[in-house]
Amino acid sequence: MSFFRRKRLFIILVGFIILVGLIGFSLRDRDELSTFEQFLHDTVGWVQNTIQVPVQFTTSLIANIEEMRNVYDENQILKARLSQYKNVLYEVQELRQENEELQTTLNKTESITDFEPIQASVIARSPEQWFKMVKINKGKQHGVEPNMAVITGDGMIGKIQSRSQFTSTVLLLNGFDRSNRISVNIDLTDDEEDMTGFIVGYDEDEEALLLELNQSQTDVSEGELVFSSGMGGVFPKGLKIGTIKEVTPGKYGLTQVAYVEPSADLYNMNHVIVVDRSAAMPEDNGNTQAGEEE
Amino acid sequence: MARIYLPLFLLLLLVIEGVALDFLPQRIFSEQWIIIPHWLLVFLLMIAVFYDFENTYFSVLYAIIFGMLIDIVYTNVLGVYMFSYALVVYIIHGMKKLLHLNLFVVLLYTVIGISLADFFIFTVYLFIGADSISWEAYASTRLLPTLIANGLFLFLIYPINRKLIQWSIERDEKAKSS
Repeated sequence: MSFFRRKRLFIILVGFIILVGLIGFSLRDRDELSTFEQFLHDTVGWVQNTIQVPVQFTTSLIANIEEMRNVYDENQILKARLSQYKNVLYEVQELRQENEELQTTLNKTESITDFEPIQASVIARSPEQWFKMVKINKGKQHGVEPNMAVITGDGMIGKIQSRSQFTSTVLLLNGFDRSNRISVNIDLTDDEEDMTGFIVGYDEDEEALLLELNQSQTDVSEGELVFSSGMGGVFPKGLKIGTIKEVTPGKYGLTQVAYVEPSADLYNMNHVIVVDRSAAMPEDNGNTQAGEEE
Repeated sequence: MARIYLPLFLLLLLVIEGVALDFLPQRIFSEQWIIIPHWLLVFLLMIAVFYDFENTYFSVLYAIIFGMLIDIVYTNVLGVYMFSYALVVYIIHGMKKLLHLNLFVVLLYTVIGISLADFFIFTVYLFIGADSISWEAYASTRLLPTLIANGLFLFLIYPINRKLIQWSIERDEKAKSS
């Protein structure tokens, strides 16, 4: 009996060593998932795709019935807005045309605002809620690359963390930390210049993103819009991120820290767009410029 | 038959865990309650209790395989679910002779199993820094709701036990005749 006990203990200890080894392996900075993991992601993803259709049908049916109660009121408001939009639309067309003309005169064809959209559906959400991750049904074969921004109609929701051939994993905004910050602009209403800053993480208690402002003198009021600035080189310019909720002095009183409420609903989304920034990455840019000089 | 049905059903549970947050009530989240669906573990415990004999370890094998799948598909830290599920299923497998089996005893085993597994997973994530809430907050906002939700799930799938026992006997007879 004691022999068996010893053997049992031995197996558990070996298992523990394997566990520590695997954790160490997965915590390294990995650019690429191993082929084995990609294969499993895709296989399970295929099943998830099929299961997701009836589930989404049922849940959206229930949501639709709830929404129907408010349809009349919403319709009235929308009708009123529609007439305003017609004017705005005309203005936008004018501006867009003017912008294009100006850009052609400048000989500038690509800007950091441009992006190619890749439409995708959410097929699963990590049940383990420490990992703010969702899975989408587009992968390497559709042109998805790590670090691309992911948006919905309301604004940015996260970025691609890893991708396999036919599915990819999205890290949501509330899972961001200092290692993946976003360079942002704040659209100050009573100032010509935009203010710049960095999203450095997520505050669980406030349920808002932490924004470190680069200038501390200017006053930032609540409700200002926060956009990505495109300066990080990864995300395109002009993706809506959220609105300022509160501004407080930073830890040492030298900087200002603002809480930003994400504009997109991070808990409830079905269709997302992966943003493929068209403008070349900084290092590619450097190469082409060097080439031109020669 | 069990050889095909059991892995298929486990795979189905794995996939449904991923869309569970779509149809679990939303209001629970706004009150800071977090439910982790450990449905796979609940079913693995059922297999351990009803399908396995004292000298067979199918449940532990399935726990290792499907724990690894959860690690790969839903988290980005490998090995945590694999180890904790396998260990818990093994412990319950060893405990099942202690009490006469009925619904409430199985419920007790499930509660013990899920608390152990979830606690172990939380501890590991706390150490590697994937999460940073305090022990008290963990116990009240995560462990308790998770136990209740998975206990309810056990009531839902408990009737399967007849089928499991039947498969278990069939497998035993086949093993004896060959």
